[in-house]
Amino acid sequence: MSETFTVPARDLTKSGIPTLADIGERLRGGAWAFVLLGAALLGLGLVLQAERGWGNLLLTAFNLACVGLGGLFLLAIQSITGARWSDPILKAHRAMPALLPVAGVLMLMLWFGLATLYPWARPDAATQHALHGRLGWLNPPFFFGRVALIFAAWIWVGRRLTQQGKGAAPFILVFALTFSVANFDWLMSLEPVWSSTIFAIYGFSGMFLQGIAIVTISAIVLRRVGLLPAVSKAQNHDLGKLLFAFSSFWAYIFLSQFLLIWYANLPEETGPMRLLLQGRWMPLFYLNLILNFFAPFVLLLQRRAKTNETVLLATCALLLAGRWLDLYLQIMPPVLHGLGPLFGPAELGGILLQLGLGHLACWPVFMKDANPAQELPQGG
Amino acid sequence: MATTEFRNARFRASFADPEQLLHAVAHLRSAGHRVLDTYTPFPVHGMDEAMGLRPSRLPRACLAFAILGLALAAGLQIWTSAIDYPLIMGGKPLLAIPAFIPVAFELTVLLAGLGVVASFFVAARMRPRLRIPDLHPGANDDCFILAAELAADVQFPAVARELAGLGASETSLLVEDRFQRDTSFWDRSAGAGALLLACLPAFLILALVPVLNRDFQKRNLAWDGGMGAPLSAQAFDASGVLPGGEVLQAPPPGTLSRRGDPPLAFGPGKAEAERAGRELQNPYQPTQGRFNRGKAIYERVCATCHGREGDNNGSMIVARGAFAPTVLVSPVVRGMPDGRIFHIATFGGPTKMKGYGDLLSREDRWNVVLYVRELQKGSVKPAPAPVPAGVQP
Repeated sequence: MSETFTVPARDLTKSGIPTLADIGERLRGGAWAFVLLGAALLGLGLVLQAERGWGNLLLTAFNLACVGLGGLFLLAIQSITGARWSDPILKAHRAMPALLPVAGVLMLMLWFGLATLYPWARPDAATQHALHGRLGWLNPPFFFGRVALIFAAWIWVGRRLTQQGKGAAPFILVFALTFSVANFDWLMSLEPVWSSTIFAIYGFSGMFLQGIAIVTISAIVLRRVGLLPAVSKAQNHDLGKLLFAFSSFWAYIFLSQFLLIWYANLPEETGPMRLLLQGRWMPLFYLNLILNFFAPFVLLLQRRAKTNETVLLATCALLLAGRWLDLYLQIMPPVLHGLGPLFGPAELGGILLQLGLGHLACWPVFMKDANPAQELPQGG
Repeated sequence: MATTEFRNARFRASFADPEQLLHAVAHLRSAGHRVLDTYTPFPVHGMDEAMGLRPSRLPRACLAFAILGLALAAGLQIWTSAIDYPLIMGGKPLLAIPAFIPVAFELTVLLAGLGVVASFFVAARMRPRLRIPDLHPGANDDCFILAAELAADVQFPAVARELAGLGASETSLLVEDRFQRDTSFWDRSAGAGALLLACLPAFLILALVPVLNRDFQKRNLAWDGGMGAPLSAQAFDASGVLPGGEVLQAPPPGTLSRRGDPPLAFGPGKAEAERAGRELQNPYQPTQGRFNRGKAIYERVCATCHGREGDNNGSMIVARGAFAPTVLVSPVVRGMPDGRIFHIATFGGPTKMKGYGDLLSREDRWNVVLYVRELQKGSVKPAPAPVPAGVQP
C-alpha cells in the first residue's frame, strides 16, 4: 500500500510549462559559474598558500570519487540482492558514477603538488629513517601508476554496471581492494609514519553514508519537481532507515578506530589523534561527531521523522557537511603543519567545485535515462 | 478500567489468499463494520494500514528501557571507577569516557531488547501455559482470517454474501467473546509517567556524581581523554634499570612515592649508607604506638629472614639452608647508627637483602629501626611464635 504525497510539486516557472531540458539549461549556467569561481578560488589558494591549495584539491578529488563510488556501490548491492524497493529511485544513483573520470583527472593533477602534500615525495625522504623503508611502495611513479589503475578499474567496472547491469559481484571485490589501497595511499600516507588498519573501513563507512544521503536528497527533489512519481512514503522510510543505520555504522567504526588508539596510546599511533584532541582542532573533532552521528541519530530516531521529507533533507545536509568536515580533518592537520583549522577561499573554492562538477557530470547521464522533452507536471 | 463494548454481533471470515483478506478488510471498514482482528500465518504487508491500527506503542517502551540501560551502565562505571574505588589505569583519567562506551552500548542494547520483549508479553497478556483455541481450524496454517463486528442495522447474511463475493471460503457468526479487552494502562499518561519513574534511580545516580565526587573537576574530566598528559609515567619510556632500557620492570628513577613522602636525599650504595649513618636522625618521637607498629611490621616482614628476636632463630631461609642473614643483635649492627639501618631498610643490605623503600612507608621503616634498637637492648620479650593448631611441635 503506497501512500502518495499530498505536497504539491514545486512551481518552478512563472510562465509556461518547463521541460526537463529547460531545467537542465537553467542549472547548467549556475553550475559553470560554481566551477569557474571554485577553480579561481582554489587557484588563488594555491598561489597564496601552496599546501592548503593542494590539500583542498585532494579533498575535492577524493570526495568526488567517493560520490561516484557511493552510487556504484548502492547499485551493485541492489543488483546482487535483487532489491525491488529501490526501483523508483534507481535513476538518481545511476548518474553518480559519471563523476569518477572527473575525480581521476583531478587526482592526476596532484602530480604537481605531490612534494607539498606528501612527506615521502620530498627529496630528503630517503635520508629519513622512518621513511626510507616505505619508499618502495610510496614513490611518485608507482603512486600515480596506482592512481591510474584504480580509476581505470572503477570507470570500466562502473560503466559495465550502469549500462549493462552486469558485474555487480566482481565490482564488490575490486572495490574492496582498490578502495582500501586508495585510502591508504591518498589519505593515510599524508602522515606516513602513522598507521591504522581500520582506516579504509572508516573511509568506506563515510563514503557509503554520503552516497545514501545524496540519493535521498535527489530522490526527494526529483519527486517534488514531479520526475519520480513512483517515489512513495515507503521509499522515504527505507532511505531514512538506511541513513540511520549507516550513521550509526560510521560511529561504530569511528569508535573502533579511536578507542584502540586512545587506549594503547602508542606514540606512533597517537600523534594525529592527539593533534585533533587538543587546542584549536578540538571543537571540529567534536563537531564531526555531532554532524555525522549525534544529530542524525536524534533527528531520525522516531519513525515519523524517517518519513518526513523536511527532516530527511535537513539530516542529509548535515551529513554532507559532516562528510566534508570528516575528510578535512583527515587531510588538513598533517598538511598544514601545526597551523590551526582554516576556512577561506581555498576551502570555499573546493566546495563550489564539488557542487558545480557534481551537477555538470551527473546531469547529462541523468538526462539520457529521462525524456528531455518531458513536461513537468504543474500544481498538485 | 473501561472495557470494549459490543453492541452488535461478531463474525469471522476465512480466505485462502492474503490479497483477498487485505481487500476484504478495506471493504468491511469502508462499509462501516469494525474489524476486530486478523489471523494470518505470516505478517501481511499493509495490513496495519488496512486495519487502521495505530502505530505500535512498543518503541516508547524500547526507548525507556534503552535510556535506563544507558543510565545504569554510566552510573555503574562512574561510581566504581571514579568515586568508590578510584584507580589510575593506563594513565587515563578516572572518568575515562571512551572506555565506558562499549559497556554502555552493550547494556543499552541488552536492556532495550529484553525490555521490549517483556513489554510485549505484558501488553499482549502472554504468559506460560496460556492456551487460546484457534478462531478457525486453519488459523495458523494456510488460512487468512478476519474477525469483525457488524455495523448497526446490517444483517449477517447480507455481509456473508458480500464476503463470499470477495473470495471468502467460509463465514460464520461468532459466539465467544475473546475480543473483550481492558484498555491498556500504558495508553494513558500515567503509563508514560510510570516508565519515566522507573528510570529515575539511574538518573539520580548520574546527577549525584558531581556532588559525591569532590575532586571531580580537578583530575577526572580531561577533554582529550588523558592522551596528551597521562597521569602516570609513560608506559614505554626507557626505565634505565635494565640493560637495553627494558621497561615495566622497576619504577623509573625519580619516581615519587604515592604516599606523598618527599624525595630521599640519599641513593643506594655503601658510601651513601655511611653518609646516611652520619647525617640521618630518626625524625619521629619514640612513642608506644610507633613501637607497636614497628614490632608488627618487623614480625610480618623482617622476621621471616632475621628471626623474631633478630638472632636468626626461627628464620625460614636459615632453616631451609639458603644462607644466614646478618644477625641484628650482633655487635656490628649494635654499633651502627640509626641512619645506617634506615638506609639498609630502604635500599637493601650489602649482600643479599633487597630494599623495602617501595613497600614500606618512610615512617614505618623508622618504626622498624626503633623496634630493632629495642631488640638489641634485650628489653623486649617477643611474642612466642604461634603454633598451628593441631600440629605437634
